[in-house]
Amino acid sequence: MMKLEAFRIKNFRSIVDTGWQNISPDNITCLIGQNESGKTSVLEGLKVFYTGIISEDVLRSDLTLPEVSCRFSIPKGWLIKVTANPGTELKELLSGLIHLELTRTWIADLSSVINVSGEISQYLDSLEDAWRIYLNDVTVKLDEELVIIQELEKNLSVLSEEESIIKSKLSQDERKRFSFHLFGRKPVEAENQKNNHFPGLMNQLNELKKQKEEVSELILKKEAIKKAGDTWKKMMNGCILIEKHLKDLSIKLEERHQRMTLLMRPLDDEADSEWKEVLEDFRKTRAEREVNLTALDNHIALSGYIIEGNTEEEASIKVNDIIHSYKSHYNSAFLGKKYFEYCPVFELFEDFGSLLPNRIDMEDIISGNENVEGYKAARNFLSLAQLDYSFFQQQSSRILKQKIENLNRTLTHNFHDFWQQSIGRNNKIHIQFELDHYSSSFVGKAGKPYLEFWIKDEGERLYPKQRSRGVRWFLSFYMELKASANLTDRQKVLLVDEPGVSLHARAQEDVLKVFEDIKDKIQVIYTTHSPHLVEINKLYRVLAVQRDDLDSLKSTSRILDPLQLSSASPDTLTPLQSILGNPMADERYSSKRFNLIVNDTGSFYMLNAVILLMGYKGKVCVIPSTNISSIPLLCNILMGWGMDFGVLLFDNDTEIQLDEYMKNSAFKTENSSRELIMRMPRTFLNSEDLLSTLDFKNHILETREGITVPNSVYIKEKEVPRNFILSKFLSNVKEGKIKVSDFDEETIENFKLVTDLFGSVK
Amino acid sequence: MSIEKHTNSDLLSLLPKPVSNDHEASLRYAQMIQRALMPDPLILKDKLKDFFIIFLPRDIVSGDFYYVFGNKQKICIAAGDCTGHGVPGALMSILGISFLNEIMKCDLNLNANRILNLMREKIMYALHQTGGCHEAQDSIDIGLCIIDFSTGKLQFSGANRPLIMIRNGELTEYKPNKMTLGIAPVKEASFVNTWIDTKPGDSFYMFTDGFSDQFGEITDKKFKYKHFKRMIHSFEELPMSQQKEHLENAFNEWKGKSQQVDDVLVIGFRL
Repeated sequence: MMKLEAFRIKNFRSIVDTGWQNISPDNITCLIGQNESGKTSVLEGLKVFYTGIISEDVLRSDLTLPEVSCRFSIPKGWLIKVTANPGTELKELLSGLIHLELTRTWIADLSSVINVSGEISQYLDSLEDAWRIYLNDVTVKLDEELVIIQELEKNLSVLSEEESIIKSKLSQDERKRFSFHLFGRKPVEAENQKNNHFPGLMNQLNELKKQKEEVSELILKKEAIKKAGDTWKKMMNGCILIEKHLKDLSIKLEERHQRMTLLMRPLDDEADSEWKEVLEDFRKTRAEREVNLTALDNHIALSGYIIEGNTEEEASIKVNDIIHSYKSHYNSAFLGKKYFEYCPVFELFEDFGSLLPNRIDMEDIISGNENVEGYKAARNFLSLAQLDYSFFQQQSSRILKQKIENLNRTLTHNFHDFWQQSIGRNNKIHIQFELDHYSSSFVGKAGKPYLEFWIKDEGERLYPKQRSRGVRWFLSFYMELKASANLTDRQKVLLVDEPGVSLHARAQEDVLKVFEDIKDKIQVIYTTHSPHLVEINKLYRVLAVQRDDLDSLKSTSRILDPLQLSSASPDTLTPLQSILGNPMADERYSSKRFNLIVNDTGSFYMLNAVILLMGYKGKVCVIPSTNISSIPLLCNILMGWGMDFGVLLFDNDTEIQLDEYMKNSAFKTENSSRELIMRMPRTFLNSEDLLSTLDFKNHILETREGITVPNSVYIKEKEVPRNFILSKFLSNVKEGKIKVSDFDEETIENFKLVTDLFGSVK
Repeated sequence: MSIEKHTNSDLLSLLPKPVSNDHEASLRYAQMIQRALMPDPLILKDKLKDFFIIFLPRDIVSGDFYYVFGNKQKICIAAGDCTGHGVPGALMSILGISFLNEIMKCDLNLNANRILNLMREKIMYALHQTGGCHEAQDSIDIGLCIIDFSTGKLQFSGANRPLIMIRNGELTEYKPNKMTLGIAPVKEASFVNTWIDTKPGDSFYMFTDGFSDQFGEITDKKFKYKHFKRMIHSFEELPMSQQKEHLENAFNEWKGKSQQVDDVLVIGFRL
């Protein structure tokens, strides 16, 4: 269902950032480049996207952590089917998507997480951003409230102080009054004082009491906010501490990565156990941080409702609602994990374990003992033969033998479809497997069944290991691919590092045949140095990998798509130039010129005439295709030569179809800075339509009859020898018999369109 | 009077009565068809401030024709004069109108000269003109202009028919190519396009040669093009309807009781 369409690898071995690289639309992608250019890193990068398992070895010297993204094509509406209750907005988004981007990122402990990226994550991020803005607003409000509460409390303490001063004054006054009263007389001053201060102080006291009550009431009202604020601050401090601890742990982990990278060997046990503790602590703290941050966010949201005057209970109900409205119940990581379940299986074909063994115990196959030599190859073999364990439970040994014999014949026959080589002249190899049982001389295994494999030719019967590595490799490789293709439940991406290095050129071409055969079921990405593993007419499959600085192994790897091959170094292009030959020394086909492919020789004459007539000074070299259908092949050749080129297409049905084909399939590139296809901006069915009817008659046909159809249609209808008349036209232009001043304004305008188009490409 | 010099209506009068009536009826019907093929001048009403069309066929059907085609932004106006008059002229005019329709409906963005180039190809193709000796030499003289209301620009291209512009009392004549829409004596060349930046109040006149070639009853001389120009110039301040009236009166007075020698077409419009 999901088909790999493009990938992007960041910070992986020599790769800093590949940028988005489209894999070939026909499912076979070939990486070419010198040794140490980073081809294998690309394959490994894709493999770890699937497995998630990396070691320190893959980290770059600056220890930036890797990130691998893959873009998959998906049927429209498929995401809706695999996403339960997505919510209205997300549902609308998912229903329209035909691409899905997944990104695996690693963190300091080298564990990883798969996130959904691209449009879906943009939507989820926008929700998260809105949620953050909301929380920030609440935080500001909460802060303001806390300042107000602090002011009120300060106010209250000032009032209390003032109250106590007045009370003490009043009590002094009272004591004085009481002492004179004991002596039975009233002093004049005391009487006067009483009359002057006592009521005033009493009034002040009453006023203060009133104010205090008011402030206290306000504080009481804000008690819940204060409580929420205190908790918030406490939680914040907790988060800060966790963050700091996590930072310290990250530094420790980075130090370890650094030491590992510098030492290029494992650390001793003591350091290793210390590291394990750090790692454990890191993981625990990360989980704790996540929990605390979520709790903090929820508390801030809760505080917002408390500020609005809700009780804690009411607020917590509303918090759930607000979270629901701001946050999808999905996040990038959750959806990433969910969609990853449907992701194609990325498998790296490795020699070890994939080469066919001489013998393997049935017990190991049944128990799935992957450690036993040749397990994978034997499993593939059985899958290819469509056998399961029940097959070997056949009671009658005669029937079993007959069945095995039939299978051997079928397998050999199928294999011969792909392996064309003969040993000697007509001596083809045969694959054979047999079921046998250990004799009593095998202690502990006596009587147990095992499978034995043979690769036979007319001369001799040999164990796989006795055969050449090439035959063994190809057979194992063939089985791996065919077996994988039989597993139809999941799409598969097979990564193959330099297939068939030990194969003869003919057998290498057979490898391509196998790729072609399985490409509808399995997407293949392989690296190669061999010209025999690159098809001349399918160079759109090629991605060139080379170092930014060709002389330095420390420089980063760069991937060039098919239309950027002109920037590739000659060494990178060696496999292509081996099949295409070297570009001609003739300056016509020069990398310094822009090569413009046109539909046929007639257009070649016509456009060269236009270039001459208009005195166009740009470096354009017009290359005629033998016919329109050969244009893709010419593109491949120019790509292989690493030349800058474009295709000029006219407005006829065949060229419109070719335009569609080239744009939508083979020559689709993500990073190309320019368009490969140049369409004539007006309705010109062919190059001769660049001339006005009058000029066409005067300078090409040399006739005076009325022509009411486009020039190209006239040529076709009247079966005029097009190449001949256009070649004659070019000759006349070259000889100066026809000058630009001889043409009418319509023709000149059209010529200018062409030269403007040339100008726009350089 | 040789039979060649007779007009169609003259010929009709020579025929026995019942036959003549039949022919006349046919011609009247043909006239109706020809009129129907020519656009309703009223479509100019929305586009132009003021205009007139004088269309005086010599016979029942005419070798002169006018053409109007346009949209909100552009309008194309043409005054054509086919070789001959009467039935052959009318047939040619129908050919001309049809070709113009074909071309204009295909692409309204063509330049005026390109329209004439295309028309010439169509006419040469229809009449099998290749430059041989015994081919039909029929053709159309035409003046064609395209007014772009969004830019205020007017393009003119003429096949033997000029355009006259009067701006602020000053008369300017835009000369045509000395070629017709049909096979040329030596070699066909592209028609030239003339661009004019118009101003509000500018008056333009397109016409066939019927008016200036008319012989006067009294003088037995042609009206002459220079007098025609002078007359247009002298009327230029008047509303178009009055100009039409004056021109028609002048023509009728000049002609008197003498025979109308050719179809007459004058189109005048003010921006």
